[in-house]
Amino acid sequence: MTLEEKKAEVIDDFSMYEEWLDKYEYLIELGKNLEAYPESEKTDDKLIKGCQSRVWLDYKVEDGKLFFRADSDAIITKGIISLLISVYSGRTADEIASDDFGFIENIGLKENLSPTRANGLVSMINTIKAAAEANRKSAAKEDDEVLSADDVKALAPMYENVVLALKQVYDPEIPVNIYDLGLIYELNINKAREVYIKMTFTAPNCPMADEVLNDVKVSVEDVPGVTGVKIDLVFEPVWDRSMLSEEARLELGIDLDDENSEPSEPTEYDGYGLH
Amino acid sequence: MKVEDIRKMFPALDASVYGKPLVYFDNAATAQRMDKVLSLMGDLSAYHNANIHRAVHKLAGDATDAYEKTRDLVKEFLNASSREEIVFTSGTTASINLVAFCFGEAFIREGDEILVSEAEHHSNIVPWQLMCQRKKAVLKPVPVDDDGYLRLDVLENMISSRTKLVAITQISNVLGIINPVKEIVNICHSKGCKVLIDGAQGVVHSGIDVQDVDCDFYAFSGHKLYAATGTGVLYGKKELLEEMPPYMGGGEMIGTVSFKETTFAPLPEKFEAGTQNFNAVPTLGPAMEFARSVASDSEIVSYNEKVRDYLLEALLSDDRIRLFGVPHRTIDKAPVFSFAMKGVHHEDLALILDKMGIAVRSGQMCAEPVMDRFGVTGMLRASIAPYNTLEEAEYFIKSLEKAAAMLA
Ligand SMILES: Cc1ncc(COP(=O)(O)O)c(C=O)c1O
Repeated sequence: MTLEEKKAEVIDDFSMYEEWLDKYEYLIELGKNLEAYPESEKTDDKLIKGCQSRVWLDYKVEDGKLFFRADSDAIITKGIISLLISVYSGRTADEIASDDFGFIENIGLKENLSPTRANGLVSMINTIKAAAEANRKSAAKEDDEVLSADDVKALAPMYENVVLALKQVYDPEIPVNIYDLGLIYELNINKAREVYIKMTFTAPNCPMADEVLNDVKVSVEDVPGVTGVKIDLVFEPVWDRSMLSEEARLELGIDLDDENSEPSEPTEYDGYGLH
Repeated sequence: MKVEDIRKMFPALDASVYGKPLVYFDNAATAQRMDKVLSLMGDLSAYHNANIHRAVHKLAGDATDAYEKTRDLVKEFLNASSREEIVFTSGTTASINLVAFCFGEAFIREGDEILVSEAEHHSNIVPWQLMCQRKKAVLKPVPVDDDGYLRLDVLENMISSRTKLVAITQISNVLGIINPVKEIVNICHSKGCKVLIDGAQGVVHSGIDVQDVDCDFYAFSGHKLYAATGTGVLYGKKELLEEMPPYMGGGEMIGTVSFKETTFAPLPEKFEAGTQNFNAVPTLGPAMEFARSVASDSEIVSYNEKVRDYLLEALLSDDRIRLFGVPHRTIDKAPVFSFAMKGVHHEDLALILDKMGIAVRSGQMCAEPVMDRFGVTGMLRASIAPYNTLEEAEYFIKSLEKAAAMLA
């Protein structure tokens, strides 16, 4: 079913109930049938802020599609999130990111919630949107364009400048820039001078993720000639210290060839998540 | 007086929500306004609007009279010994902040201690925390037992020579247990410390005689007592208020002002800086009169008790329900019922009840430490006013049952 078809179906389902109590009954049913969410994943980084009841939301990306799972300690909230998941799970990042979530208004959900619950709903929607935004495929990557030798020559200096820009952004936990840390898995610039970056973090669930992604975007956009930036956040392959650049290793005092590969001054690096 | 007569005085009670008659059970958050309160406020705003204490013209005179007459009425209502002891504020929170700041400035030294109960509203915790930070003093919580009663024995032992003030609620807005304030004041005074009573709920359900109880400070809000929002009272013993420095500086609170030296107005104006809420303060008059007439009318008192006892009984007899604040004697309980239902989230219940026309509160109710004390993230609260009927109470219990069935 396409996204539009699915939304139409939900609107249709909802319109079957005239009384709000019946609509709640329907949401409660949805909540009860929501796929179980592991207790171990009810961590603070998955908690959505702005809800009176607690809501956890997590997702994975498979074949370019986002799959969500979630839970809440309040059942109506759980029904609402179940509704969102049934509509948006299994869609591509582009589909979700470009959707206006207007169907929520069509079923009158937002207006009929208490203000605190309505805020919670907005927070849930924003979290889903943010996940999609972070996984959006770049236009740059999609057209498999062939660059001529001249194009490459023209783009080369820009490429260097983008790398310099990336080196301005520091990991929130390790005092090394994200480029030398090896967090950038792919860097492309197309003819239209749009930059595509595929990158990761040293650990999933980085609480600073949004800030770092934003820093990357702002920093790269500042490079003269760049017309757009698309960032894909991936956690595969998983980052490890073998991806550190030579400079970074020197800076951190890590010798990979050394069997023990302990940092020379271990106390300094405690808490950086390198072990 | 019959409950029907009372209901006629409150226009909001006629309302319907989602096509169902409104059942307003969120009175502990704010009570509905009486028609007399609404018309007086409208009248004052429309026809007697002038800044008080400031001008010689007729309107200013009328407004000042209405405001100052209210001070006398509050003095009588609380049985204070003089009108200088009545300070108008914007509410309980403002009253407590005033004391926390000014009492703190006058009397608190590094290492001194303030005690509050575990069952306080945030308004009777945070002002003391701020003061303690400023003065390097220490704030300590006095525990309540599993039934929600304040541990007087622990309180007595916690008071030391460093303890300068005990701030306790008369009735917790969560637990509804009526604290024995006179006994508390006795204990505190025998150990040489002062007492502030948060009367936000107490003034509604118990009233107070500040001379009999002998508390040093008493705070309450108008809006919970059927008067206009933005009105409130601080009662303070004259000798203490006199030693305390002013809270805010501004118009009205001064004697003479010059750049060399400013002297302050005598009590109570010393604590009433700036333009006061003079269109609203006089609404305390009819509101207090109503509260007093309800309390002294045995017919309505016994009706209200019947509603309270019905709810208490219904909630206690349901073994899915855990009531917080379980009275040993029914007279210990104000009609404020906070509870949790097994396997059901308080917010879901509140949401469904809302669609049934019932307004109740869910969540932490500005009292996180109480939630922690009882190990819950929130509760559902039904709080009753004299205008609530037995039929409403029965409808509430039935609806609760229905909601629980939907959620089970
Ligand atoms: C016990 C108690 N103390 C203090 C307050 C604060 O009152 P206000 O918000 O009117 O200042 C309330 C009301 O919520 C209360 O119930």
